[in-house]
Amino acid sequence: MSTLARQQQILLDALLSWPAENAMKNIAACAIDTGSRGIKAYQTNGHMLAQRALEAAYPVVAQMVGDESFADLARALWHAQPPLRGDVACWGEGLAVFMQSSAQLQEEPYLGDVARAEWALHQCASAADRVADLPSLALLTTHDPEHLRLLLAPGCAVVRSAWPVASILTAHLEGSPSFDEVGTQLRAARAQDALVWRAGLRPRVRLVVDGETDVLLPLLRGESLAQALDAAPALDFGQWLPMAVQSGLVLSVSAMEETP
Amino acid sequence: MPPVSDASVDHVGVGWRHAHYAELLERSPPLDFLEVHSENFFAEGGAALAVLDRGRAQYPISLHGVGLSLGSAAGLDDWHLDQLARLVRRVDPVRVSDHASFARGRFRGSTVHAADLLPIPFGTESLDVLCANVSRVQDRLQRVFMVENLSAYLRWNATGDERVWVETEFLATLARRTGCQLLVDVNNIYVNALNAQLREGVTLVPVQSCRDWIDAIPADVVGEIHLAGHCLVSDAQGAIVIDDHGSRVGDAVWDLYRHAIARFGSVPTLIEWDTDVPALDVLLDEAKRTRTHCAEVLRVPVLSTGTGVAP
Repeated sequence: MSTLARQQQILLDALLSWPAENAMKNIAACAIDTGSRGIKAYQTNGHMLAQRALEAAYPVVAQMVGDESFADLARALWHAQPPLRGDVACWGEGLAVFMQSSAQLQEEPYLGDVARAEWALHQCASAADRVADLPSLALLTTHDPEHLRLLLAPGCAVVRSAWPVASILTAHLEGSPSFDEVGTQLRAARAQDALVWRAGLRPRVRLVVDGETDVLLPLLRGESLAQALDAAPALDFGQWLPMAVQSGLVLSVSAMEETP
Repeated sequence: MPPVSDASVDHVGVGWRHAHYAELLERSPPLDFLEVHSENFFAEGGAALAVLDRGRAQYPISLHGVGLSLGSAAGLDDWHLDQLARLVRRVDPVRVSDHASFARGRFRGSTVHAADLLPIPFGTESLDVLCANVSRVQDRLQRVFMVENLSAYLRWNATGDERVWVETEFLATLARRTGCQLLVDVNNIYVNALNAQLREGVTLVPVQSCRDWIDAIPADVVGEIHLAGHCLVSDAQGAIVIDDHGSRVGDAVWDLYRHAIARFGSVPTLIEWDTDVPALDVLLDEAKRTRTHCAEVLRVPVLSTGTGVAP
């Protein structure tokens, strides 16, 4: 390792190790700062950035655990799983698993799933744009579903949970259902699948309708419409499709190339 | 006389942050460019990019990065450079810049990114690494890149027999070797001088050391100037001046700006404000003050190409 690489590793150790006593001794041996105040400034900056970045991605988890606990959580994740990229918006995906392994959060086992759904929303916000092509829906009347695919909205994902994760998110983000109703669903451990998608530029989340998860998962894997419908016998496709198109979930239909 | 190439002061911009996305587009105030942080627009799509496209339709854009880690011995992150190249193609910015700093390196067996602007030593190995990384960026982007001087909260000790460069000589050599330009952050120079005074005692005169710093930089390599506020933090762990971009530009920094303009000429100048972002009118007032200082020093009319003229 070069001298420069070693110097940089020592400073990263001082900033990212926690607790950092030994790392602080190492950096003190090769750098001068303002009475250790400089290292403290960098550490504080990292902690504040971690909290801001995590709050941006997980506003509901932040509300649920409270400011002080969330700041502790952000700091702990920062040191346990430092960023790998220079875009801090990419950091924080590990929060769900991190919380599920936290002894202090064992009494709130649904938080991990809320975090997974929020990360899907966070990703959805920056997914590549897709253009709707409504005239292409006419292919549904001329082609066999075996040869058709549905193009879904940017960032479309289904988050499956043993908890009422969709209700928790919409209660916090959209004010419905009521928190009393969410409490009832939590006590009953009601399982829910949350649907995440982007309508235009706006990330959305809602509870799936009957059979919707079953039709969406094959479509998200790129399978044909026929395969998706076979997997979703409970779905009323005739009712679902207009609603899915109107809400920007389904953007277009395309004919699959036939293999020779 | 300063090396003036323009007959007016038409190079003043502000940092365009989330709090002002909508208001600035609605009001279209007379600014010559907008600066955005490149990493905030690395998304493949979505609302942020849509806003940037609208801003680009009204103003020239300066892309200022905080995450390339140009001084990293671990090298550049291919992914980061790919995202920046894509953004540059999309925006066609007037300038692209980042800092003479590092953030990438090894930690517990992985290559991590500390998401900060960490100081690099001013040694020969460090200069070689910085030059190689800047050259790689310029080759990839096919354009001249700009590198900003840092506000640093620690200084590296000399190692072995390696030559230790003065910061200005280090940066000037970087510019000469790579053909890059320098982005001179006047507030950073002053913050470093204040912290040196805290560290080394009252015998140091911050403003004079800053003037010396500016005088040591070749005028022809300076492509942009940054101005911002700073704050003194004093607590149980000691006192330090932080480059927080959270207040108006201080009087001493304005004085240094006038000195810089007298030396560098009518260089594009940015008002940065990233913490406790105030009303847009406060930023616009700082931009107006910038024009006034510049016009007084250069004795030229205050003009702005302003809105709706993005090239």
